[in-house]
This record gives sequence, structure tokens and C-alpha cells, in this order.
Amino acid sequence: MTSRLKRKLGDLGIDPSSSKANESFCLIGTPLPPLEKSKDTGEFVPLWKQEVRDEKGRRRLHGAFTGGFSAGYFNTVGSKEGWAPATFVSSRADRANKKQARPEDFMDDEDLAELRESRQLVDENEEMDFGGTETEIRRRSSMANALAASLAPSASDSVGARILKKMGWRLGQGIGPRVTYEQRRAQDRNAGFAPDDEDEEAKKHMYPRRDTPLLLVPRKDNSHGLGYTPGMGLNESLGRAGEAKGPHISAGFGLGALNDADDDDLDVYDAALGSERSKRILAYDAIDDDDQMSMGLSRRRGAGNRAPAKSSPTQTFRDGKPVLKGFILSDQPVAEDRWFPLPEVPPGWKPNPRRVWEASANKENEGASKGKQREESPRTHEQWKRSLLSADEVRRAVMTFSQGSLLGETPLPSQPRSVFDLMSQKDKERLANIRTNLTAGVVEQGSSAPPSALRTEVDIPHVHPSVAKAALQGFQPFTADPVKQSRYTAFLHYASAAGDGVLSIATLPGQKTEDFNKELADYAKSATVFKPLSGAMASRFKSAAIVETGPKIIEGLHTPDLSAEAVEEPKPEEEEEDPRMAAVRLGIYGSLTREVAPWQPARLLCKRFGVKDPEVDLGVDTAPTSTDAPSAPGAGADAGTMAPPPLPIADAPHSADGTGDGARAPRNLANVGLGEDDEQGRDTLTYQRPAMDVFKAIFASDDEDSDADEPSEEVAPAPSQPAETTPQHLLVADSATSAGPEVDQKVDLATFKPTFVPRVDRESRKDKDKVKEKSRDKNKKKVAALVSFDDGDDGLQINVSSKKRKEKSKDKDGDRKKKKRKEKKGDGDDDDSMWVEKPAAAVVQNLVLEDLTPLAHPSEVSLEGVAGPPRGRKRAVDFM
Amino acid sequence: MATSTHNPTALARNLHTTLSNHKGPVHVARYAKGSAKYVLSGGQDRTVRLWNPSTGAEIKVYAAHGYEVLSLTVSHDNNRFASSGGDRSVFLWDVSTGQTIRRIAGHMGKINAVEFNDDTSVLASGSYDSTVRLWDLRAQNRQPIQILEEARDAVQALHISHGTILTGSVDGHVRAYDLRMGQLRSDFIGAPVTAVTSAQDGQSYLVTTLDSNVRLMDAATGKMLNGFKGHKAEGYRCRSCFGHGEASVICGDESGTIWAWDLLDAVPLPPTPPPKVHQGVVLWVEHHPTEDGEMISAGADGTVKVWRH
Repeated sequence: MTSRLKRKLGDLGIDPSSSKANESFCLIGTPLPPLEKSKDTGEFVPLWKQEVRDEKGRRRLHGAFTGGFSAGYFNTVGSKEGWAPATFVSSRADRANKKQARPEDFMDDEDLAELRESRQLVDENEEMDFGGTETEIRRRSSMANALAASLAPSASDSVGARILKKMGWRLGQGIGPRVTYEQRRAQDRNAGFAPDDEDEEAKKHMYPRRDTPLLLVPRKDNSHGLGYTPGMGLNESLGRAGEAKGPHISAGFGLGALNDADDDDLDVYDAALGSERSKRILAYDAIDDDDQMSMGLSRRRGAGNRAPAKSSPTQTFRDGKPVLKGFILSDQPVAEDRWFPLPEVPPGWKPNPRRVWEASANKENEGASKGKQREESPRTHEQWKRSLLSADEVRRAVMTFSQGSLLGETPLPSQPRSVFDLMSQKDKERLANIRTNLTAGVVEQGSSAPPSALRTEVDIPHVHPSVAKAALQGFQPFTADPVKQSRYTAFLHYASAAGDGVLSIATLPGQKTEDFNKELADYAKSATVFKPLSGAMASRFKSAAIVETGPKIIEGLHTPDLSAEAVEEPKPEEEEEDPRMAAVRLGIYGSLTREVAPWQPARLLCKRFGVKDPEVDLGVDTAPTSTDAPSAPGAGADAGTMAPPPLPIADAPHSADGTGDGARAPRNLANVGLGEDDEQGRDTLTYQRPAMDVFKAIFASDDEDSDADEPSEEVAPAPSQPAETTPQHLLVADSATSAGPEVDQKVDLATFKPTFVPRVDRESRKDKDKVKEKSRDKNKKKVAALVSFDDGDDGLQINVSSKKRKEKSKDKDGDRKKKKRKEKKGDGDDDDSMWVEKPAAAVVQNLVLEDLTPLAHPSEVSLEGVAGPPRGRKRAVDFM
Repeated sequence: MATSTHNPTALARNLHTTLSNHKGPVHVARYAKGSAKYVLSGGQDRTVRLWNPSTGAEIKVYAAHGYEVLSLTVSHDNNRFASSGGDRSVFLWDVSTGQTIRRIAGHMGKINAVEFNDDTSVLASGSYDSTVRLWDLRAQNRQPIQILEEARDAVQALHISHGTILTGSVDGHVRAYDLRMGQLRSDFIGAPVTAVTSAQDGQSYLVTTLDSNVRLMDAATGKMLNGFKGHKAEGYRCRSCFGHGEASVICGDESGTIWAWDLLDAVPLPPTPPPKVHQGVVLWVEHHPTEDGEMISAGADGTVKVWRH
């Protein structure tokens, strides 16, 4: 309760701590906390929070953290000093003051309380009263009672008693006129007790009657039935005396059904028995005599066994043995078992469990094929369901199905029997169409192959190509049987081809078609079973390096043929030999045991090891493997893209008619990186700048891109004759490159960059240039240059071809172009700076004229070509 | 027993000190780089210990591994070392502070071998998961630079020299990944390979296999140059190494002896058979990289023994 509320209540004059104020009317929810925290709110307090306090509210039992024994000396013996003995004080002086010591003096509070309690007399058993007792009267409201008590006479006697008394009745006498002595005696006799003596005098007097004995009905405080006395046997209740009970058997020892109670089993402490026993049986010493014993026993037994003894007095088996007690001999003879003679084992028969096995081996297939035949006619769901039920069940099912209709019930509309009921008419028709088509197909097949022929037909199970492919890489289950393994793989190959191929395996000689079918089915099964793990799981496992081909396990019961095994044993040793293993065994290491494979180290790894990335070499020399070099990023990748495609180099014809044949000799792996290699280090110098496309992709804006596209589009129309055109241009390039160095010396390499632009392009561009704004102009030029020079991207081929065409039409023009191209080539080789102002082209043209001379002398060219060009030529091709 | 004659090929067989603080088998014991004044040993008791072999004093205990330590490698500047073992990650330690600098996780099995390259920029680790992973120590990249997955079984041994990574695997192959050539040369040895050591010049390498053989193979052709037999190594990783000046071959033995052969004629050096020096299997032998007369051996009896002439 808030303090505000408290104040308010105080203002109203309500004691906030009173129980009425604190009464909770909350039926739902949590009541407000009580106004004042009472000592015991009844809420749960954990054990460690509970406090022990004595009756005066002092805290007892201090914990270690609240002071322990030292806190509050009432935890000690009640003194600050604890058990420290007080100094001796003589009581001699005030002995007189000292009263007699009473026990109470030595008692503490608890003892005193106990004593007080024991003195209090409490009548705990309050008598039951029906309104007459003081307590009951007291309970009634006082006023009325007081009046009634004052008015009414004292309640000592009842009215009847008072009247009787007035008539002379005394307590203890019967009611009625006095009777004579004789009458009284008769009364006594009726009551059941005989009058003891006869007195002459007594006859002379009249006597009051005997008091009528009060009928005392005992209170029934148990749950037994009326008239039942607990512990009374059935016979007793009927009034019969109980049969002689058996001897009391001492408790604790079980007695078997057939055992008689022996003396040892009897309860020695049973007094009643003892007396009875003593009557019947003599003391042990006296029973020495066998006769006596038997007599006694027989007598005793005879009493107990009377009933059964009647039915079978002297039953014995035929051999004279007495029938056990409690059993009777049967009158009916025992029904004899029927025995059948064993069949004769034919001579020469040997147990062969496999026979049965083999006989039933094809049962599955038969069943399957039969099933297929049966399935030919499609059935409704209900038919199918019914076919699964036995005849009896069918009847019952039909009963339940038709019961409703027999009774005339309309079927519940909300319970369609199948999905088909829910389908639209259109869908149903479509389904029906499909079904008829299917059945037609099946029927066709079925009819073409009559049941007998069906068995001889090879039935190739369907395995999904992906499964088959996976299984090819997975575990090979038939490694123990190479023939089977090969057939298995053949099957998988067939299956992975998705039915395109032809199954390359046929029935083995002496193999039945059924067996072959079974074999194929087996393959299909194992393909699905043994396909390898996929995904993350597979990466956790490695297939074993050595496939252990264990002994072939024969299915079913099998008696191993020891003689055959002995013959087979040496075989596997010969077979197992892997050529490598054989080499190892012989100690011939070397070519046999060595495998060399190209390996692509990560570029970073090479960097860290301080080793040149071998990728470039790989790419050039072992062309097929280089292409798949997977993850060489950065420069490696660049080199890869720059690397010349092998085809143009290998193209024989143009080299044959060309001039720079010697120069074009393919690079020899042995020469790479060695002194003889003129190209050494060249590619690293020349290959630095990545393709322009990359720059474009990164830096060029969208509209620039669109501009860039235009020229290439213009060039695009003539892509038709690349193969023939390339060589010629290459030749030209060769000559140009051979002359390259000279050119270099004359032109300032840093500033000059020749560009090649096909004429058409240039002209068209000129027009465009005029149209376009100046700001774009610059870009434009660059783009043009890009197209023409840096044709390492796809553009070049096209360019060249278009050029070629032009050449055909205008030779003169073509000549110029050639020169230009050649010039460009040389530059491309040696120069890194690619971009020059366009006007420089004029200079180039001049240069080109000089360069033409080497073209005329092929021999010279070839000589010179050795120095620079092959690489350069390649590059040219590369740019294509 | 000891030959005090200073035959250069004779093995140092006088016990100098015993380093015996390990509480279980010592799987690996390696000399520091440079003048190799110290020895690092790692054992089954999950600790790596740094010793001074000349005094026999234990200098430091490196305890962070949760499983056994199977392999150690020391950086070229002796500032760091790497250890690996059952806890599937490589621990990179700072020698002086005794703290792990990096814990490189990624393998899926216990790591049998770790090796630095020459300038400690790359760490190679070969594992039970049959891969060798190459980790970049210059960058804090959690991914390996490259994973060599050619091995078909657990990788047991690694050796890096001359731009070539040699791996020995239980599948019986020694694979040489040649970075310069971009080539993988795998030599089939036959039996599971437990140790591979390359010669100084990289022209040959020493292979220890579980068929009780040590073979000296020609790195270029894969031919066997010499075979060393006599010892017993059938179930444990008993490492072999070259003796001083690569004039001899030393290998531990499962019966607790240390064998030595002449490199050229493959004849066991006397005494034959060698005396038993360890109570258990000799799991590691390593000759002092520079000094003639010193080598160490570690055994399953929990001791590392320093031998001198």
C-alpha cells in the first residue's frame, strides 16, 4: 500500500494496521501487500533466510556471519562470560535468608511452562449430552433459560417417577401391585434364576414385583453384518460344533500340500493343543512300540481322510504302487499317439541346402513379372484395394460399403471417395486419355510378348543417369569378381547415357535370360545403394587407397569345399600384383613407381616461397593442362588470357608461304628461361598492362560504353573469313616486328604511340566527331584506338577481316593499312605506352615506308626475326 | 661400447644428459635453428618443453594443448615455433613469452606433421584427414593458401626445402610438390611412410616406412639409391635422419635401440646390433644440424636423451 493511501486512511480515522483494513477482496490478480509487514506473513521463506527466535523475540542461533557464538550472550549460558566460573562467594552469612530449595528453582522457562501445563486438569473426554448437561444449557441464550428454570420444578425426577413415588413406588421395585411370595418365585423362575432358599416366614408377606430388567441394546460400532460375530466359522454360525481342527501349525513355516503336519511343525506353545495332544499321543519315550505308533497314526489319519478314502479305498497302479493321495485312477485308457514311419532316404542322397535356395532364387522375378502382367489393365483404387483383401474381407467390405445404400441412405456429400471425384471434368478426360494411351502401349507390349515369351525378354531396369554417374564414381561392390565388376560398370555406363547408348553386355554363355534380368536388377539396386555421398559429407571421407578384396562370401548354408580352396589359394597372389607393387617388391623404384603430374601451386604460395609462378610455363607448353589451371588470380590469369591460343600458331599453311618461318618456330620447353631463349623475360615486360576491357569495365561510364560499342558494331558486319586472313596479316606483322627495334630508336617511345584505325572507321568517326561535343571527342579517340590496337579482345579479328575486304577492293589502301599494322605490331611488342595523340599517325606512315624494305628480303627478316619476333608474333595472334 | 675414436661417421653414443620431465611418450624432439643450442620436445603429456641439452635444464614449459603434441617445427629466427597434435589445430607460439600467437584450425583430424618454410612465411600441416594445408603466416587469413588433397590416407611426414614440399603418407606415397616446376611427383614406396627427410642439396630424400626399411631415394628420378635395413619399425612412427655431414643415416627402432648406417654402402655402423638405450620405442632421432658429435633421441619412455661423442 502506498504511503499516500495510508495517509488518506489515517485522515479517515482508519487504523491501517487493523485486520479489516487489510482484508483482501481480490479474487483475481495479486492482492496488494499487507499494510504493515507482520512478523509472519505466511509466505515462504527459504531455509537460509529463516530466523530462530525465542518467545521473547530474541534471535537465537546466530550464524557465523552474524556473529556466531559471540553474538548475544543469551546463546551462551546466559552470561557475558559464558561458561567462565564466577568467583566463589560464601553464602555463610546469608544462610538464613536462603529458603529451602525447591525443584522450581532449578527449572528454566520451558520446564516451568511444562509444569504449569501438567497441573491443569483437563477433562478431555466430554460426555455426550442431549441437552441436559450444564454446558448445553449454558449454550442456550441466557434469558429464556433463566425464566424457564425459575418457573419449572427441579428436574431431579421425571413426572412419572414423581407420581410413582407418590403411589408408594420405590427405586429398585417393579411396577404394579404387590405379589405373593409364590408369585414372586415364579417370576424369578421365569427370569431365569432359581430362588435359593425357602423361608416359611417369607410366604407370609407380600412382595413388590421384581423390577423389569432393562433391555440393553449394545451399540453397533463395526461394519459386520447383523448377527455376525467376528471370528466365528460358518459351521459355528449355523449352530454346529466345529470339526476337529487340525493341529496348530507353528507360524512361519510353510507346509506343502502333500505333507502332513509333523510334530516338528506343530506349535509347541499352543496350550489347547498340548492338552489335546497329551490325550492322544503319548510321550516320546512311550512311542517306541511300532504297533502303538501305527495305531495312533492310523486313527488320527483315519479321521482326517475319511472323505477321499471312501472313493478310492485301495487304489493301486498295476505294478502295485499305491496311487498318490488326492489322485484317482482313470477309467478310460490313454489315447495312443499316432506314429508315422520315416520316409526312406534314397541311397546316395546328400544334403544340399542350396538346392532349395536355388530353386527359389527366381521366385522374386517370377512374382514381379506376373505382377507386371497383372498390372497391365489399370484398375481403380477400389479394385486395387479389394484385390488386396481376401474374399471374406471383400464381402465384409462390400457389406459396409453397400450397407448404406441398402438401407436407402443417401451417401454423405461431404465425403468424396477419392481424389478423382474432386477433379474437374476436363481433368478427368485428360487423365482418361493418358490412361488409354498407356494401356494401349502396355497392351501392345504385352500382346507382342506372350507370357511365355516375356520371360525370355531382357528387361533392363531403369536407373536414373545421375544415379548411375554417381555410382560409377562410388564404391564398386563387385571388385571381388572382376567379370561381374566389368559388367556392372558397363551397365552403369549404359544407364548414365540415359538410354542413348546400347547395353554392351549380353547374357553370359549358359546364362538364362531370367538370370540375366536378375543380374541387371541387382546392378540397378547396387547402383542406388552404392552411389557416393554427396556434398559436405563426401568431403569428409576418402576412399581407401587399397581396395581390400576379401574372400567371396557365399550366401546361405554352405559346406565349404576344402579341396577346391586348396587349389584356388595360390591364384590370388598372382592376381593381386599391381605392377607398382611388384616393382616395389623387387626394389625397382623409378619410372614404374613414379607418377608425375602437373600441379598448380597457388600464386600466393609461390610468392611466399619466393618462387616464380610456374603457371606461365605450364600455360604455354602444356597447353591442354594449362587451360584448366583453376584459381590463378591476378597476373597469372592475365597471362592465361594473353597466352596465344594454340590453333593459329600451329596453323601450317601460312607459315609455309610466309617469310618469317624460322622466327615462328614454336618455343621449345627446353629453351624456356635459358640463355638461348631470346624471349626470356620479354613477356613479363610486355604483358603488364591488362586488357583494356578491364579498365573500361571499371572506369568508363555507361554512355562512354555505348560510344565504345559503336565502332565495333561498325566493324562487326564482316566476321566471315578469319582463318585465311589471319596468316597474311601475321606475316606482315612479322616483318614489322623484325623491324621494330629500329623504329623504336627513331621514335620517342615515351610519347609516341601509333594507332591503327581502319579507314572506314576513321571516316565515319570523323563525321561523328564533328557532330559530337568536344568533351566526348577525346574519349572517342581513345575508344577508337582501343578497338584498333588493343584487339586482344575479340574485336581484332573482326577488324582485320574487314580490313582484308577493303584490301581486296582497294589495294592501295590495303597496303597502307598493312604498313600501319606492321608498325603497330612492332610497337606493341616493345612498347608499353599505348596511347598517343592521333596526329602521330602521320609520322608512323613515314616510318612504315622505311620498314617496307625488310619485307622484300625474307632471309634477312628470318635472321632478324629470331631476335625479337616469335614472341611478338604470338602476341599478335594473341590479340586476335 | 662407445667409440671415442673420432670417426666422422661413427654415431655419438655416449649419453650426455637425459631430459626426463615429460610424463608420457615424447613424440617429437627438435633442435632449434641456427647454432641449435636448444631443444624443443613435445609429448603425450600435452606439453612442449624447451631444454638446454648441454646442461640438461628445462627452460620453459609450453602448455596449451588439449591433446598430445605430435609435431614441432621451429622458425628460422628461433622466435617462434609451431606445434600440432590431437587438437586438430596448429599452435603458433612465441618462444620467449610462452604464449600462443595463433591457433590455426581447419583440419578435420589430428595433425601429424607441421613444417615451416625457409623464411617462416608459410606453414604446412599434414593431418590424419589426408590433406596438407598451407597456411599464410604473413596475413591473418583464416583460410589456407592451398590444400594438397592428393594423399589417399593420413599424412605422416612433411619436409619443405628448395621450393619443394615433400609429404609422406600412410598410403605409401611420397609426394613432392615442386613449386618451381609446377609439378607433382609422387613416388610409390609401398609401405606406409612415417618420415621423410630431404638431403641438404635436395637431390635425394630419406624415407622411413613401416616395413622396417629406410630408403634413400633419388629426388629427380624416384630411384632407390640405397636401402637401410636391420631395425624394426612396424607400427610406430620412428623417424630417421641424416647423420653429420650426411655421411650416415640414423633411425630409431621399436625395441629401443638407435641404428646407424653408412650412407654409401648401407652397412650398419658398429656396434651391431646397437645397444638398447630407451625403455620403449624410439620415436624420434635428430642429429645436431651443425655439430658433429651431438644428437638427440626421444622415446616412448618419456625421456629425451642427448648423445655425444
